[in-house]
Amino acid sequence: MAVVDAATATVASRPVGGRAGAWWLRNLEIAVPAGVVALVVLACFVGPLVLPVPPPVGGSVLESYLDAGSPGHLLGTDPNGNDIFSRILHGGQSSLTVAVAVNLLGLAVGGTLGALSGYLGGATDTVIMRVLDVLIAFPSLVLTLAVAQSLGASQTNTVLALAFFSIPAFARISRAATLRLRELPFMAAAQLCGTPGWRVLARHVAPNIAPQLITFGMLGMGIVIVIEGALSFLGLGIPPPAPSWGNMIAQGQQSLSATPMLVVWPCVALFVTVLAFNLLGETLRARWSGR
Amino acid sequence: MTVATRPGADADRAPGRLAALLASPGARLVGKRLLMAVPILLGVSVLTFWVLNLIPGNAAQQLLGPEATPEQVRTLEQQLGLDQPGYVRYLGWLGSAVTGDLGTSLVSGQPVTSQIGERLAVSGELVGLAFVVSLGLAIPVALLAAYKPGRMFDRVSMLVSITGLSVANYVLALLLVLLFAVELALFPAIGFVPLSESVAGNLHSMALPVAAIAFPLFCFYTRFLRGDLVDQLQGEDYVTTARAKGIGPGQVLLRHAFRNSSFGLITVVGLNLGTLIGGTVIVEQIFALPGIGQLMLQAINTRDFVVVQACVLVFAIVAVLANLLADLLYAVLDPRIRYGSR
Repeated sequence: MAVVDAATATVASRPVGGRAGAWWLRNLEIAVPAGVVALVVLACFVGPLVLPVPPPVGGSVLESYLDAGSPGHLLGTDPNGNDIFSRILHGGQSSLTVAVAVNLLGLAVGGTLGALSGYLGGATDTVIMRVLDVLIAFPSLVLTLAVAQSLGASQTNTVLALAFFSIPAFARISRAATLRLRELPFMAAAQLCGTPGWRVLARHVAPNIAPQLITFGMLGMGIVIVIEGALSFLGLGIPPPAPSWGNMIAQGQQSLSATPMLVVWPCVALFVTVLAFNLLGETLRARWSGR
Repeated sequence: MTVATRPGADADRAPGRLAALLASPGARLVGKRLLMAVPILLGVSVLTFWVLNLIPGNAAQQLLGPEATPEQVRTLEQQLGLDQPGYVRYLGWLGSAVTGDLGTSLVSGQPVTSQIGERLAVSGELVGLAFVVSLGLAIPVALLAAYKPGRMFDRVSMLVSITGLSVANYVLALLLVLLFAVELALFPAIGFVPLSESVAGNLHSMALPVAAIAFPLFCFYTRFLRGDLVDQLQGEDYVTTARAKGIGPGQVLLRHAFRNSSFGLITVVGLNLGTLIGGTVIVEQIFALPGIGQLMLQAINTRDFVVVQACVLVFAIVAVLANLLADLLYAVLDPRIRYGSR
C-alpha cells in the first residue's frame, strides 16, 4: 500500500517517462539494482550450464597464470590453472546460497522471536531480549571460527554460524515494528473480538511487519555476502579447492604485486553484487519510511 | 567501580557530600548501567567457554605436536589444568578474572593481562584514528550535503557513500595496498612501527590500515547524519521557529539541526565502537599489525583458550562501556534528558 503511495509521489516529483511510461522507467532506482541482482543470479546459476566455461576445479598447472582474453579463458587462469571466470560464477553460487539461507533463517527465527517479544512484553520480552543482547555482545568471528574448527569448514556450517548473528538483528527490527503496531486501534479491536494471540500474530502482526523485515533482508544479503567472504578469506568458510569469492581473494593476495588481477576480479564481483543489494535495500527502506 | 555500582544503597542513610554525589542522577545511571552489564558479561564469558570447549583438540596437543604419546599429552594436560571438568575451570577463571587476573597464556606462559594491554593499545590506536578521521570528514560533508539537499554536492556525496558502504573492508584494504604500496610505493603494506619508537614512523605505518577502516565508517556516518539533518530541517517545529525569528539557514543548520542530530550520531558511534574493536581482525591480519584481533586469531589457531577468553571479555567490556559513554554524552548535550529523576 505504502509502496504504491510512495511510487505515485515519486512520479509526481520526477516525471521520468511520465505516468504512461513503463513501470521500470518510472522506478529506475529499484529497477536498475533489481536488474543487476537478477543478472548476477542468472549468471551464477544458469551461466555455467549454458556458457562454454571450463569446470572451476581440476585445471592443469601447465595452464596457470594465463592472461585475460586467452583462448577459452575470458578472465585468464589462476595459479592452479583453473578458469577465473568459471570460479567467479561458481563462487557466486555459494555466496548467494549462503546469504539467502542465512537471511531466511534470520527472518523466520528472529522475526518470530521479535514479534513474540514485542507482542507479549513482560518477562518473555525481558528473557528473549537479554539472551539476544548476549549474542550481540559476542564477537561474531569467535563463534564462526569455533563452529568452523569444531564442525569443520563447510557451506552448511557457515550458514549455521552466520545465522546466530542475523537472528538478533531481525529480532530487534521485528520487535520494534511490533511495538509500534501494538498501539494501533485495529490491534485492540482484534483483541476485544477475542482473537487468540497466535492468530493476532499470524494474521495481523506478521503481514504488517513483513515489509520492514524483507527490506532489512536486502541489506542483510549484502552484509552476509561480505562476512562470508571474510570467513573464506581467513580460510574458515568454503574450503578450497571449491571456489568462493573470499578464498579467491585470499589466494590472489599471496601474489598481489605480480598478478593483481587475481584479486581484482573477485573483488569486482563481490562489490557489484553487494552494491546492488544495498541500493535495493536503501531505496525500499526510503520508500517505507516515506523519505 | 565497586563504589559506583552501589550508589543508591548508602545514599539514603548517610547524608553528606559523598552520599550526595553518589545519589546524583549521573552516578545512579552509571551504577544502574554497570549492574545491567554484569549479566551480559557473564553470559558472554559462559558462552565463550562453552563454545571453546566444543572445539576438538586442546593446547596440550598443539604444543606437543602430532608425534606426542598419549602419556605426554596427559601429563601436560594435568600441568595446565586442562584435565579438570569445564565448570571447575570456568569458576576458577571467573574467580581470578574478577580480581583483574585473566590467567597465564597456555602457549607462551606469559600473564594474559599484560599481553592484552600491549595489543589493545595498537588496536585502540587503529580504531581511535579511524574514528577521528571518519567523523572529521563525515560531519562537514554531511552538513554541506544537507545545506542544499538534492544539489550536485549532495547527490555526489550520497553516491560515494553508498558505494563505499558496499566495499568490504578486506577488499578495500587490498586495493589500498595495490595502489599505495605496490604501484605508488608511498606507504608500507606491512611493518608496524611502535609509537614509542617514532611517532612519524608509526603514523606512516598506520596510514593504510586506518584508511581501510575509516572509509566505510565515513560513508556510513555521512549518510546517517545527512539523512537525520534533512529530517530535522523539514519536519521539526523548532526549525520553523528559528527561521521565523530570522535566523539564517547556515545558523539553523549548525546551531539547531546539527545539535539535535548529534544525538543519533553519538548512539551510532557508540554502537560501532563496540563492534569495531573486534572487527579489526582482518585488517590487522592483512597489514600484519600486532593488535588484539591478530592475537585472538593466533590464539584460536594454537588452542590457547585462556587468551581467546580474555580477548572476548575485553571486546564485550569495550562494547558495554562505549554504549554507556554514549548515554552519558546525551545527558551532557541535551538538557531535557536527566536520567534517574523520574
